[in-house]
Amino acid sequence: MTTTSRENILARVRTALQTHPPVERPPAPEVWPSTGPTTEQLVEQFTCELEAVSGELIRCGSMAEARRKLAELAERSDWRTLGAVDCRLCRELAADVPAERITWTHDGWDANEMAELSVGLVAAEMLLADTGTCVVANDTAEQRLMCYLPPACVVVATVEQLVEHMPAGWAEIARRTAQPDRRGEFVLITGPSRTADIEKILILGVHGPKQLVVVLI
Amino acid sequence: MTTENLHLEGAPFLKEQNRGLYEPAGPKATYEAAVRSTENNREITDAIPYWQDWRNAAEQIKTFAVANLDKLLVQFEQNITARGATVLWAETAEEANRLVLDIARRHNVKTVVKGKSMVSEEMELNHAFQSAGIRAMETDLGEYIVQLAGQRPTHIVTPALHLSAEDVGKLFEEKLGEPFSAEHEHLTNIARRHLREEYLKADMGMSGCNFAVADTGTLAVVENEGNVGLSTSTPPVHVALVGIEKMLPSIDYLPVFLNLLARVGTGQKLTSYTHLIHGATPGKELYVILLDNGRTKILQDPAARKALTCIRCGMCLNVCPVYRRVGGWAYGWVYPGPIGSIITPHLVGLKQAGTLPFASSLCGACSEVCPVKVDISHQLVHLRHRAVNEPSPANSLIDRITWNVWAWAMCGPVRYSLAAWAMRVGMRIIGLVPRSLHVDKLRAWTRGRELPPLSGPAFRTRWMRRRTDRKVAELRKDVCGSCCAACGLAKQKKNESNRP
Ligand code: SF4
Repeated sequence: MTTTSRENILARVRTALQTHPPVERPPAPEVWPSTGPTTEQLVEQFTCELEAVSGELIRCGSMAEARRKLAELAERSDWRTLGAVDCRLCRELAADVPAERITWTHDGWDANEMAELSVGLVAAEMLLADTGTCVVANDTAEQRLMCYLPPACVVVATVEQLVEHMPAGWAEIARRTAQPDRRGEFVLITGPSRTADIEKILILGVHGPKQLVVVLI
Repeated sequence: MTTENLHLEGAPFLKEQNRGLYEPAGPKATYEAAVRSTENNREITDAIPYWQDWRNAAEQIKTFAVANLDKLLVQFEQNITARGATVLWAETAEEANRLVLDIARRHNVKTVVKGKSMVSEEMELNHAFQSAGIRAMETDLGEYIVQLAGQRPTHIVTPALHLSAEDVGKLFEEKLGEPFSAEHEHLTNIARRHLREEYLKADMGMSGCNFAVADTGTLAVVENEGNVGLSTSTPPVHVALVGIEKMLPSIDYLPVFLNLLARVGTGQKLTSYTHLIHGATPGKELYVILLDNGRTKILQDPAARKALTCIRCGMCLNVCPVYRRVGGWAYGWVYPGPIGSIITPHLVGLKQAGTLPFASSLCGACSEVCPVKVDISHQLVHLRHRAVNEPSPANSLIDRITWNVWAWAMCGPVRYSLAAWAMRVGMRIIGLVPRSLHVDKLRAWTRGRELPPLSGPAFRTRWMRRRTDRKVAELRKDVCGSCCAACGLAKQKKNESNRP
């Protein structure tokens, strides 16, 4: 049935387009020009933008410092159970977390269990300084849920991952998106979950996490 | 859910317009929220020196996409199929509903969570689910509220724009048994709690799509709440509803659209979550339904096809003085505001929606803000032209008679004065009839407005009188060589010479 619907739709599109004048393929716009900022400027801008969208930044000089700060934060926020995406950066950061308090993403992890976690730990692929955005690659459903289900989300990233803005990092995102065997999603996370659906008043944490912390090493 | 508002009525704007105007709560909330959005967005867009460049680029890219729609559709299908998705095509809303229900049956689905999708509104999918005994929950907060209230969204980006926090509090109290509160945070938490359970037990998740990227087979979906993330990753089956006009030729074009859409849509630099979904998530099923439902009809009309470049940002609604005043329902169908006025007549036919193109002051505010430069005002004029020449409510017997009489009366001074005189008499008579006896069409006007009799002598009469007076005076001057005291002209001259 839908094969004929497909043919019908395509036929109608083709007939309709016979009267369309030819259009030249436009070049991809630059969007934002590059200004070549220093790393320090990038960090500053990222921090500022992240805070503007109600995210928190924890800047650490070393992995050891990051581990210590994560532990402090967990203590302060009363995070009991941690879920984490199984990747190198997360493994390094969570090296000190006692095994009974952390669960690593694995196939067939029940979403009900994941919803009970206090916090999800994920690693960023890239950070966009001008919007305070973390680009996260989620290959599996469990990784995706780690970003959305727990009430808090910690994203770990390193300074080298900072780029000026979306266009500056896009070549890489586009390249990886185009890989034919890539599955899952790239998600650009800009601050915690939010809504302004009632009277246009901004409220944080409607369905996804209420708190977003970026640990920048 | 009631079906009260769900089908487009004969002449939506004429009827619904009045309902909107005289229900104080609705339009007031709409007005304030629309104005607030406009101001937010203006601040953001004014700060960007490249704004016009982006608009031009977006316009060109979208025009290119429309001009190559057939190729892009096939390319998109190929690429996303290679990534494990199943692509289905639907010519009509009914067919799309059937496809969704088939999928649901095949996967033994009992409950569905839905991310925001205008296409699903267009299909009236919730009704189809209801009739099939499947529980479908909207998860976008605005959609959820509107669904609980048994209403239809009034805005394409913020569906519950017309409801105040108090309205929502009362609704939650009534439908969910929650203690009343008009506090935004509290209300949001209630929704969070209730919907959490839904995600976790749902068998199928649905989403719309903002951009379907043909060269990579990617679905780009933007959102703020995290509900799309949850709806598309928690349940084992994900069904994405995609209008065929959503195609973008290349992933390289996406940044400019993401930058534009967030800024105009919600006044943000980027929305909280922008998902680039590369086909099926491992272990899950992905179905993509490509829906025509009248879009190829728009494509056929060279004067209208630019409407297919719309990215549904909702900005033209917010700036529209008519939308602000009457709210979304007045437009009688899923797409309200200026964009609704130009696509609804194509999608449901002029016969039903022929009054919509007239629901505009043609001020052009919509065309000016549109991020992809849809020529909304020109299209409105084009549709008006069609509406008065084809079968439509704007071409009814009464309308034809009225306009013919008007045209006749305008073509000569005698006819004109005759018509003016008839009007004076007519208005007097109408003034004598009590309002309750007015016929429907007249009452629609007089319910909220005075219809005073025309005042004083008409301009034409006064003009003639004045001319005669002047003539007489000049005549007298010729005759006696000087002016008598009674002569108007002499008085006027004297006044002028006395002025310092
Ligand atoms: S017509 Fe333009 S302004 Fe209106 S919703 Fe579409 S893209 Fe936005």
